[in-house]
Amino acid sequence: MIEEPYRWLEAIGNRREYVREQIKGGSPVFGASLPDGILLVGVGTGNSKVFELFDRHALVGLGHPADIEKIRQAAIDAAHTEAFTRAPEDVSLRRLVSYGLSPQLKTNFEQIFSAPILVELLLVEIGAEPDQDLLLRLHFDGGFQIRTNGIVVVSSQADPETAAQTWLTQIVAGKNDRKEVVDLMLQAWWCLTENISFTENQPPEADRQSGWRMAVSGKVVEIGWLARQSQRLARFEMLTLNQVGL
Amino acid sequence: MSDPIPIAGDFLSLLATRQVSLTRADVSASAPVQTQATTVFAFHFAEGVLMAGDRRATAGNVIVTDRVDKVIEIDATSLLAIAGVPATAFEMARVLQTSFEYYRRSQLQPLSLPAKVRALARLLRENLPLTMQGVGIVMPLFAGLDHSVKPAKAQIYFYDPLGAQFQAVGYAASGSGSGTIRSVLSFQEQYGKPKPSEMNLAEAVQLALRLLMTASEFDSATGGVNPETRTFATIKILEESGVRTIDAGQQAGFLRA
Repeated sequence: MIEEPYRWLEAIGNRREYVREQIKGGSPVFGASLPDGILLVGVGTGNSKVFELFDRHALVGLGHPADIEKIRQAAIDAAHTEAFTRAPEDVSLRRLVSYGLSPQLKTNFEQIFSAPILVELLLVEIGAEPDQDLLLRLHFDGGFQIRTNGIVVVSSQADPETAAQTWLTQIVAGKNDRKEVVDLMLQAWWCLTENISFTENQPPEADRQSGWRMAVSGKVVEIGWLARQSQRLARFEMLTLNQVGL
Repeated sequence: MSDPIPIAGDFLSLLATRQVSLTRADVSASAPVQTQATTVFAFHFAEGVLMAGDRRATAGNVIVTDRVDKVIEIDATSLLAIAGVPATAFEMARVLQTSFEYYRRSQLQPLSLPAKVRALARLLRENLPLTMQGVGIVMPLFAGLDHSVKPAKAQIYFYDPLGAQFQAVGYAASGSGSGTIRSVLSFQEQYGKPKPSEMNLAEAVQLALRLLMTASEFDSATGGVNPETRTFATIKILEESGVRTIDAGQQAGFLRA
């Protein structure tokens, strides 16, 4: 099969479809660069969506738990080895992804006889100033896009992801309060999981708020916060809904 | 043969699989005079543990610097005070810092206090060849929060150069000025009013600064404290909420009080 190029292309196409089918039920996750830090939000089972990677780095993602774990461990191993052999300041998200995770994911995706890695991820790095933040959207095939500000939505399907991101970007513009932003992210999460359009016949805010509150019952809202100003090297902390005032 | 698999959460085994070596160079008879760091101590006070050190490093009878920080924050709930050869001690601190954070992040839970105490013992044991040759000797103090009791309690440990670990009941000291400090703390613990363990923060910091002043009277390798030249100590507090630093400005204020 592999000696015939068109069959390889077909196999890759099938693989892409298979991965998308496998992760389509994944719970969407969110990241936002704010003046005081970077906010990461996901709804899961606790320690399942939002993770600390290094002093200034964190990860949020959806997909198969074992695959998220594989990527998380690889990123933590690489970051700590780099920090130890050079210095913590030398750990950079661009290098971590460009020269580490992305090539590994691409290689794995193109090895059509091995099991694919079922993940969609957002990795972030806090900078000294908001315009030095990095939000890096990493796909299961190793492709990635880099942003230095704003909001990033990670969903298993491209169109709803784009719609949610556009809606959130507009509605969050000018809002710096962590509580408000988390609330809006959870409203977007509810709309995505309930297949509610962001453009037509969107329910009023009160309904969206009661909707996410009911939907997260029995689940854990995982909120990660990378503080821009801190006395400690490790900037990351996990917050609860209570701690952000919701 | 396949690559060895690192032990989950163990940073040293991860380094071994990446072939990053911690081994140090052999020592020859013509090795230069070593830099030494003294004096450090820790004692319990009413709010937790105070750990302090002077800031002098010496090599023989030469003062190398009066700006060394010998009390190092390893993570949010652990402190290390180093006495001995800084080259080895700072490297041990760096290994511990990375190891503890690596374990916490990769295993999604903090390392227990007994495991942290043993991690330092392991590094001291691995340093045994240099210790036996009389170079690279380190005699550290360690303080960590014991989360097995509620509320979490700060504990002090001291070590011998071979890696044996001992829990200190009231206080511990290490380095060339430690004899003086141990004598004063022993006296204070028996006859002091208040005893160090009953002191509030201001009284504890004041005692720590005066201990270093006293030690420096008898030991030229101890830098001491001199408010007139703005020479203060490194002082860190370990309490239930974690580590905090008492900076030079605060020390000056406590000394004046």
